[in-house]
Amino acid sequence: MIGDILTVAWKEWLEFRDQLLRLRRGGLSALVVLVMLGIFTPIQMGPLWLTSPLMLGYWPLLSSGMVSTLIADAFAGERERHTLETLLASRLSDRAILLGKLVAAMLYGLVFTLANVVVGVVTLTIVHWGEGLQAPAPSHVLYLFSLVTLACSTLAGIGVFISLKASTVRQAQQTLGIIMMVLFIGPVLFIQLLDGDARVSLAARLTTMGTGRIVAWACATLALLSAILIAMGMARFRRGKLSLD
Amino acid sequence: MTTPAIHADGLVRDFGPIRALDHLSFEVPAGIVFGFLGPNGAGKTTAIRTFLGLVDPTAGSARVLGYDTRREGDRIRERAGALLEHHGLYERLTAEQNLDFAGRIWRMSPGDRRARTRELLEQFGLYARRREAAGKWSRGMKQKLAVARAVFHRPPLVFLDEPTAGLDPVASAALRDDLAALASGQGVTVFLTTHNLVEAERLCDLVGVIRNGKLAALGPPSTLRPRETSTVRVSGTGLDASVAADVSALPGVLGAAIEGGELVVHLREGERASALVSLLVARDVGIDEVRRDRQSLEETFLELVHEDGDR
Repeated sequence: MIGDILTVAWKEWLEFRDQLLRLRRGGLSALVVLVMLGIFTPIQMGPLWLTSPLMLGYWPLLSSGMVSTLIADAFAGERERHTLETLLASRLSDRAILLGKLVAAMLYGLVFTLANVVVGVVTLTIVHWGEGLQAPAPSHVLYLFSLVTLACSTLAGIGVFISLKASTVRQAQQTLGIIMMVLFIGPVLFIQLLDGDARVSLAARLTTMGTGRIVAWACATLALLSAILIAMGMARFRRGKLSLD
Repeated sequence: MTTPAIHADGLVRDFGPIRALDHLSFEVPAGIVFGFLGPNGAGKTTAIRTFLGLVDPTAGSARVLGYDTRREGDRIRERAGALLEHHGLYERLTAEQNLDFAGRIWRMSPGDRRARTRELLEQFGLYARRREAAGKWSRGMKQKLAVARAVFHRPPLVFLDEPTAGLDPVASAALRDDLAALASGQGVTVFLTTHNLVEAERLCDLVGVIRNGKLAALGPPSTLRPRETSTVRVSGTGLDASVAADVSALPGVLGAAIEGGELVVHLREGERASALVSLLVARDVGIDEVRRDRQSLEETFLELVHEDGDR
């Protein structure tokens, strides 16, 4: 089973790597993102870029945004390119196909964050030459990658669910775009709706909780959400129906 | 007695009000090339999907390689290979990567995958271009690669849904030769759907004709081709309109004419050509050849699929 999941993920990665290696097909935009987030932003923010608790919200949002571009293609793309039925006619189980695509998308989010963090660390070390290696604290790294992993798996869960239903990649991307907008703007709107006292009390509460506990709560919520979404995706995966679509 | 590769028993598949398969019953013995012929929408692709366990029959049952398609689809898919309606290749991947993916799916070892890739790509004449993205290839090359992928894991049964569709005659002939070599060399059972009757005639040991989801005919291509027709063609010297007129006057002859230098004689059903030959000899015609027309498989096919007057 794990071997089959990795086989599907391997294929997804090969296809994606091809896209990344061609400047006109996605490589250039990936390079621009890396320069913006891994070089320009750290220079602007300085060492705060490594230590700010805000970055623990920033990277999960960005990486899950990147995952959304890949996961929309998972089934809708295979359907559009007429490769889905051949995949379904193979010996791979429903679970292996679904989880393989999820794993590939999640890995993409993780690699995206890792690449930017590494480039950012190198950039800051060069800018602050003589002050030693500019690296985040191990606990910060742990928080960051736990949140990124779970945010990516949640988004991948939503994406798979939508991609299974969408008849084209564009349709899947549009639906995911709307969902992402709601997810990103929702918390901001919620805070805006609170009156001044409530906002102060929320801020005080979060401060007293401490970063570790906030991250633990966020991780638990995201883990639960992604488990529910993956289970829903599995329930929706009907080989017979998919091959007739 | 060996288990048949496919055994369909009263197979019915409905899509809403449309009946795609209508009490389909037949058997495909193991180790042969079976041709499934029928017009568009006759139910050929639905039959393949059902045999692969991708769709459940509405009624009836089918066993493929001894497994029930309804309950043991995963076992069938584990053992069969398939080239479906679309070639299903990943066009961004190279030929080598497409085959490697197939090998990984079927849990072949890295060494076996490499050796099999080389063997098949060399057999199909594609080895030199193995590192090119499949999307850059011609349609014929993609079809060959898709066939290679379908047989990559050495399955005992392969489904090929119109493998030569859309190919030019040269590419079709080349792919046909490759398929024939595969079938004879590796002893796999091939279930082939096609519109190409020459293909069916040349490749298949057994042919089934499907019409509106029903099996219209089943047998070797030779038996599906009806016996000789009642038209006789004579070629030689001294054939002219006066000879044709004399022949027309013979008892049992419905008509005779000179067409393209040949004497074409339409005899009454069951009538023999001996009186005709005697007359021609008496008229001092230099006979080179006397032959009866045979109905082509295409004519038989058209007759079978339009039997209800739905032409």
